[in-house]
Amino acid sequence: MKAGWTISAVGHAALLAWGLISIAAKPLNASPPESMPVDIISATDFSQITNGIKTAPKAETPKPLVEKVAEAKPVEEANAKVVDKKPEIVATSDKVEPPKPQVEQKKPEPKPTPAQKSEPKQAFAKEPEQKLDPIAEALKKDTQKPDPKTQQKAETPLPPKKPEPHKPQPKFDASRIAALLDKRDPQRHSATGDTLSHTPSLGTPMGRAASLTQSEIDALRARIQQCWNPPAGLADARDLIVVVRIRFNPDGSLSTDPTLSNSGSHPTFQVAAESALRAVRRCAPYSFMPVAKYDVWKDVEVTFDPRDMFRG
Amino acid sequence: MRQALPPFGFTRRRVLAFGAAASASALIAPSASAQLRLDVTQGNVQPIPIAIPDFVGGTPNDTEAARGVTQVITNNLRRSGLFNPIDPAAYIEKITSFDVLPRFPDWKAINAQGLITGRVTRQGDGRLKVEFRLWDVTSGQQLTGQQYFTSPDNWRRIAHIVSDQVYERLTGEKGYFDTRIVFVDETGPKERRVKRLAIMDQDGANVRYLTRGDDLVLTPRFAPSTQEITYMSYGQGDPRVLLLNIETGQREIVGNFPGMTFSPRFSPTGQQVIMSLQQGGNSNLFVMDLQSKRTTRLTDTSAIDTAPCYAPDGGRICFESDRGGKPQIYVMGVGGGGAQRISFGEGSYSTPVWSPRGDFIAFTKQYQGQFAIGIMKPDGSGERLLTSGFHNEGPTFAPNGRVVMFFRDPGSGPSLYTIDVTGRNEQKVPTPALASDPAWSPLLS
Repeated sequence: MKAGWTISAVGHAALLAWGLISIAAKPLNASPPESMPVDIISATDFSQITNGIKTAPKAETPKPLVEKVAEAKPVEEANAKVVDKKPEIVATSDKVEPPKPQVEQKKPEPKPTPAQKSEPKQAFAKEPEQKLDPIAEALKKDTQKPDPKTQQKAETPLPPKKPEPHKPQPKFDASRIAALLDKRDPQRHSATGDTLSHTPSLGTPMGRAASLTQSEIDALRARIQQCWNPPAGLADARDLIVVVRIRFNPDGSLSTDPTLSNSGSHPTFQVAAESALRAVRRCAPYSFMPVAKYDVWKDVEVTFDPRDMFRG
Repeated sequence: MRQALPPFGFTRRRVLAFGAAASASALIAPSASAQLRLDVTQGNVQPIPIAIPDFVGGTPNDTEAARGVTQVITNNLRRSGLFNPIDPAAYIEKITSFDVLPRFPDWKAINAQGLITGRVTRQGDGRLKVEFRLWDVTSGQQLTGQQYFTSPDNWRRIAHIVSDQVYERLTGEKGYFDTRIVFVDETGPKERRVKRLAIMDQDGANVRYLTRGDDLVLTPRFAPSTQEITYMSYGQGDPRVLLLNIETGQREIVGNFPGMTFSPRFSPTGQQVIMSLQQGGNSNLFVMDLQSKRTTRLTDTSAIDTAPCYAPDGGRICFESDRGGKPQIYVMGVGGGGAQRISFGEGSYSTPVWSPRGDFIAFTKQYQGQFAIGIMKPDGSGERLLTSGFHNEGPTFAPNGRVVMFFRDPGSGPSLYTIDVTGRNEQKVPTPALASDPAWSPLLS
């Protein structure tokens, strides 16, 4: 009798344990696209951000006889602009020093993002911090608010285009946090063209004052999007969803040719499929993917869906 | 006291041990094969960068012809707005032989996605042989390749056919380069314009005049066979619809109606011509069978029904009518009967024309002094304006239904323009003088 109870109990326990533990693995869905700090600005502000200056000193870009090879991510792009701005900042500090107490210009502004406020903090979110510093400088130029502390910060060398490990601020003083915080009003307005965009150009297609670091998955998605030229003007985009399977090497290169995972009956499906495969091949190698997380991205299935692009 | 042994030797101890082992093994769960999945929903709608090095000449004498063919192809693909031919000065590899595999890393380095190589050779019997290959640079595969034989003066048509092949292979749409445009060529001062019928290749080459300019000519239209044109002529007396054979130059009056006949158009089979006939104060639609010369009346209203056009399947027609007050677009079965109004926006709609793909109707819209060219679906939804301005009129579709040609008169005289149905890539069509009333032929091949 006791053996019967024992068998039953053990059997139930084993079944439960198996059921709890060996769960069928669900495919890991990519997290939703990057979240971005959203700023409501007027159309004039936006055109000011993307404005270029024809008279600015010529930036060192390779003379494009051909299409440029796919450019760096927009995040890095914004960094580049910021670096160029450095000389301007130095000049600013000279002008602003003498007139000490100024009437604070209250501007009706939307609520600032946390990144803006955390400017003088120690554990920076590296990239946005470094970018915001000079932007903060530019803002001060408009508001004529002298702030010796943050000006000193501006003088510390800004990182080069490639994000580097963060260098600790040499002159940080904990006791003066209060002083810093009090002085800055919650202010955030789009810096205007001549302070953000110093490249001699006719403007840029996008303007971003700050953005969060993209997760690696979103970086991969953004990169493929950059390289994807869907055939334009196709009539019925519904039948043109292409699913491609990609396998990577640890260094980001393709370990095998990307393969089609679906098929379509629409006569133009082949053209759409080719454009998707071409996009994946073009952008190889994806060397920005972190080796430490190789297991996450070594086998990826990408769905190319042009419906959103050809709506209306 | 001896305990009874449980059946099959299931002692408690053994069962517990077995249970523990089973649970332990269940704990070693099968490793989850989590495949990362991504959705890419946005891309770069950009013209495809393509490299078109000069075609190789089979013999040194053929180099000029080869270069000419290359120029025509490059021009066609660039004007389509869907391709971006890369400047030849940037090419790294020089293609000297048609039969050798190109060095793809060189072409990848200049960011080309497609590569066209070709060869032109004059044969012993005087014919010209043109061969081409289209390569996918990223994969190193040949996508398509053909060879053509033709007489030497037809070399432009071969270049157009090659352009069509490349266009179709890379975009999935049929091409429209091997086509001709018939239009009204206008010369002379504004008070005394001389209007002649002219026909040319879609890129502006090979212009030929079909009439002498004695009569005022309007609204020429191609027959599906592309050998005949129907048009309106104000020669002697009332305006007449005429049929002109391009090859022989022979002219024939369509029907013998009392009254004025306007805006003729061929049916998709080429057997009938539909036109509007004015009698008294109103105008109605008539169809005439070219074989039997029998005419059928399609509308019988006291309004002005004009500018008829056939759907590509020949089952319905669209036309312009002011029976509702202002000119609007109506769709009706080809046998007559109830007409359904499809245009409901502000302003007046005229000159409707049905896309050869059947998915759009293009029209001229007039509103508050502005003329616009627009498209809408055949049920009237999805109305979109492609261009708007002081004057735009008379749309006609390319055979693949992706490009619309129209004419625009900014005040100094009309010229021809093309625009994509997405509203992008407006191009001016080169003509020897002022030009109006264009009509696009079907594909010649």
